[in-house]
Amino acid sequence: MTAVPNDAAIVRERIESPTGQSLRRFLADRFSAAAMGIVLLFVLLAVFAPFIAPHDPYETDLFRRLQPPAWMEGGEWSFVLGCDGLGRDILSRIIYGARVSITIGLAVVMIATVIGIVLGLAAGYLRGWVDIVISRIVDILLGFPYLIFAIALMAMMGPGLKNIILALVLKEWVVPARVVRGEVLAAREMEYVEAARAVGAPRRYIMFREILPNILSPVIVVSTIRMAHVIILEASLSFLGIGVQPPTASWGSMVADGRAFVLDAWWVSTFPGLAILALVLSINVASQGLRDAFDPKFSD
Amino acid sequence: MFSRVSAVAAIAMMAAVPLAPAMASELRVGFTLDALTLDPANHRNRQTETILRNIYDGLLTRDAKMKVVPELAESWTQVDPLTYDFRIRQGVKFHDGSTMTADDIVFTFERLTKDGAMGGQTSPRKDLVGPVESITKVDANTVRFKLKEPWPILPAMLPVQEVVSKAFTEKVGSQGLATQTNGNGPFKLVEWRKGDAIILERFDDYYGGSPDIAPVGKACVDRVIFRIIPENASRVAALLAGEADIIAELPPYDMKKVEANANTKVMTVNGTRSFFVALNNAKKPFDDPRVRRAANMAVNKALIIDKILLGTAVPLNGVLSPDAFGFNPDLPAYAFDIAAAKALLAEAGYPDGLDVTLDTDGAFKDMAEAVAAMLTKIGIRTKVVVGEGSTIRAKWAPGGEKKGDMFFNSWGNGSLDPADIFVPTLRTGDRGNTAFYSNKEVDALLDAANVELDQVKRADLYKKAQVLVNKDAPWIFLWLPQDIYGVSKRVTGWEPSADSRINLHDACVK
Amino acid sequence: MKPLALLGRTLQLVPVLLGVSVIVFVMMLLTPGDPVEIMLADQQATPQQVETMRHDMGLDRPALERFGVFLGNAATGNFGLSFFHRRPVFDVIAERLPATIELTLAALLLALVIAIPLGVIAAIKKNSLVDRLAAVGSLFGISLPGFWFGIILIILFAVHLKILPVAGRMDFACEVAPVTYLLTIDSLLRGRPDCFTNALSHLVLPALTLALPMAAVLTRVQRTAMIEVLRSDYITFAEAKGLSRRRILWRHALKNALVPTVTVAAIETGSLLGGNMVVETVFGWPGLGRLVVESIFVRNYPLVQAAVLFYAVTYVLLNFVADILYTVLNPRVKL
Repeated sequence: MTAVPNDAAIVRERIESPTGQSLRRFLADRFSAAAMGIVLLFVLLAVFAPFIAPHDPYETDLFRRLQPPAWMEGGEWSFVLGCDGLGRDILSRIIYGARVSITIGLAVVMIATVIGIVLGLAAGYLRGWVDIVISRIVDILLGFPYLIFAIALMAMMGPGLKNIILALVLKEWVVPARVVRGEVLAAREMEYVEAARAVGAPRRYIMFREILPNILSPVIVVSTIRMAHVIILEASLSFLGIGVQPPTASWGSMVADGRAFVLDAWWVSTFPGLAILALVLSINVASQGLRDAFDPKFSD
Repeated sequence: MFSRVSAVAAIAMMAAVPLAPAMASELRVGFTLDALTLDPANHRNRQTETILRNIYDGLLTRDAKMKVVPELAESWTQVDPLTYDFRIRQGVKFHDGSTMTADDIVFTFERLTKDGAMGGQTSPRKDLVGPVESITKVDANTVRFKLKEPWPILPAMLPVQEVVSKAFTEKVGSQGLATQTNGNGPFKLVEWRKGDAIILERFDDYYGGSPDIAPVGKACVDRVIFRIIPENASRVAALLAGEADIIAELPPYDMKKVEANANTKVMTVNGTRSFFVALNNAKKPFDDPRVRRAANMAVNKALIIDKILLGTAVPLNGVLSPDAFGFNPDLPAYAFDIAAAKALLAEAGYPDGLDVTLDTDGAFKDMAEAVAAMLTKIGIRTKVVVGEGSTIRAKWAPGGEKKGDMFFNSWGNGSLDPADIFVPTLRTGDRGNTAFYSNKEVDALLDAANVELDQVKRADLYKKAQVLVNKDAPWIFLWLPQDIYGVSKRVTGWEPSADSRINLHDACVK
Repeated sequence: MKPLALLGRTLQLVPVLLGVSVIVFVMMLLTPGDPVEIMLADQQATPQQVETMRHDMGLDRPALERFGVFLGNAATGNFGLSFFHRRPVFDVIAERLPATIELTLAALLLALVIAIPLGVIAAIKKNSLVDRLAAVGSLFGISLPGFWFGIILIILFAVHLKILPVAGRMDFACEVAPVTYLLTIDSLLRGRPDCFTNALSHLVLPALTLALPMAAVLTRVQRTAMIEVLRSDYITFAEAKGLSRRRILWRHALKNALVPTVTVAAIETGSLLGGNMVVETVFGWPGLGRLVVESIFVRNYPLVQAAVLFYAVTYVLLNFVADILYTVLNPRVKL
């Protein structure tokens, strides 16, 4: 075992230079970069919705009920994608709906990842009863079907944005926790960790300063993939009628609203669904690019 | 031109092929919900009752005009305020061939009204039979109902109870009755494919049904299938494809399509469910009748009925259906008037408007949003909160915290008697009084009506109470939707019924 | 498989099931809404009626006692009466289960049928057009919101092309006496090929909706596994021995490359089963998922309890099956 400073230097090198390389590799992949661009576009839509949306998304006009898209008979260009069952502009509602999907996707994944990292590190590094308790909780939560768990929690807590986020986080943290625990179990036998232990570094320091930076990239990759899942899950909840509150538009509830008119007013369901598909697909493509860039062993 | 004709012919042939050529006549009903159980005494569910009512008959029933007429009973007399005698029809056969006797009637109603009479459980329908003291066999043909206190709606409530066979129930037990039947109705059970379909066939020894409802005799069709299709779009598609002959709960939006189809038509009947927005009378701002009246003036009911319900509803100015007993046709309407509403709101001390929430179940989201948009226009800025039915119900329980502002609500009134809707929703503290409305005068009138045996006087009491409620405006009075059915043109002899039952005894198929 | 490992696995079930039960019970306890009020809905009911119903359902007893009774009964396989149906929960679930199982199996089969050939071809012809298309396809597959895709399929195939039915499991015209309660199999057993096609035509769209995301995942797994196998020594060895490429691919390589796919498929079947409710809602499929969601809404506690236990058991069992498959199919792993 060599001197500590030497090892620390190696560690630093391991963190920084591959990350830089990975980012370069990611940006070089034009496909993923384009997908990232689309994701950013959605974020901009969400942030600047009031300036971009052509109409008030909440303004109902029963005389425009189920007005078809512009290119169809009876449509007009000021309501490009047509109107819903209460005569509201579908395009404006989709633009505002981006806020819900992106807020929930980001919030759930970020909170869940933080919880997952802390609990995963604790379980993987401390082992013993901490590991047993956390792993048992993980096992129990895994036994619940995701949607049923979320629906039951929403029934308990009532509707609302904060409660959806909470309901999803309470189940979602299991995913990063398992990833982190697995990575930590592997990392704790590594040289640099043993070295730090040998010189008597405190446990907290080893967990958060030594191990965490080294296992972060797989966690980030998994989290971006999970964000796509979470957006679909939120939309599914809204579709089942347990989502954000009206008149706020959520893509999932817009699809659900359109289901009543599916036999001929196809546009009410179709466009918000396409928005979900576009955002989720872009996130997935981008996260695949991230994975390939950070974890070249997968990239064949 | 020629090719179009042949295309039509080809489609017509295709439509005919997949359905195996049925020798027997078969009528298929596209229905919304499966029966929960086949035990007539062990549910409180309208859909279950609709299905069971084709297998079982009741002591009394209702005709197309909702008049109560005898069915398994031949006649009935009210001996005194507490005593009713029913003469039992002779020669009624159960599906197993046994003959119905007065003992079966006594057994049925004891099972409904005695605690623990259903294998230790008590019937959830117990109180639908009222304050029954005893049910006794007077002679072989007469059964006597003795009440603890006057309850003038007993005959109006009896059509919702079905008569079971004593011997059969004792044989299979209450558990068995949940899935097996031995009815006395026009159809007998062939198979219950749970969650999917209930298949019935004609009972050939049927006594004929109520003589007051022509035609009397065996059912017209050989087989009936209740097919469970909860999705509206699927139900409509099944009708248009010729797979279903009658579909319940046709969405207004799809009426055009059903009318346009050469083989189907729309049939409507005034429903029994009154819609309203309950305003929280116990709390600001809706404790002020002026604010409540302003809200009533703000809602353009006609526009919503025209555009969303496509004309399939009747506007209400009170609680009762125009078809209900004691309906007062002279109630003044709150005319849609934005300026007057704003003025009234200002007079009540809200010149700059106010912010409130409107709770609704997801099923009525679009209508609640339409109402909210209209209220917002006069300054009652309304946020719609969609909750789950049970959560909202808890929030608006009369014994609860009374914290809400508005609740988009409705109340069904299958008996079309005010006792079943007016009393529970507007009497002080009653279980459906979600507006927390309390008016001593109204309470007194309702209580008096409840024990009044003279039907003319009873109707008069309700009419007076309606005037008071209309003036107090504890709700935003909305509308009474029609029940809409999609029906194949090959069906004859069937009319939709205001109590939302689908009785198929008289229905035929061409 | 050693019997000891089996016993260990079974014992692992106990804390999971207990934990699941406690969580569901606590959630139900804290959830507002009264099942009796919901059952009575908007019918006039006397306070005495409400009281007796609450007593019949055992709701008048203290929470801890109720939970104890539930655990005691559940241990003997008795899950009590469904509040809403007033029939045994076990029967109500058993009635809905076949539809869900049929749909899940069909989706599983469909996913495997799509994924295995696609993954193999993508691996053999790496970076070819097929490989690229498969990659794009699987990205689409995992990005599709099932509830929306199902509606689009209905609009396309049922409303416009009119070649497939909108919803349900089978047409009116078909009546097949039940054997397995899986309608496709029963119609074959009863010698009704017309009904078999009919049931199949109802099954196609929901199964496809459910299968695509799974097929997307499995295609990737299959492709990666196949690439790894093709790189391994024994394939090089077989090639050196002069075995035909076809034979090597389909006999030797595929056999080994199937192991991860089958394992992942077994695990994913669990989430397929628990994620049915959305597709069941779209296609009006009378399955368990929808029943459970409805039961949460009407506070039908006994049914939710039992159903969640069922999901947890199948989840653990499927993982177990995955492990066994992994050992049995892969001679290199010893458990």
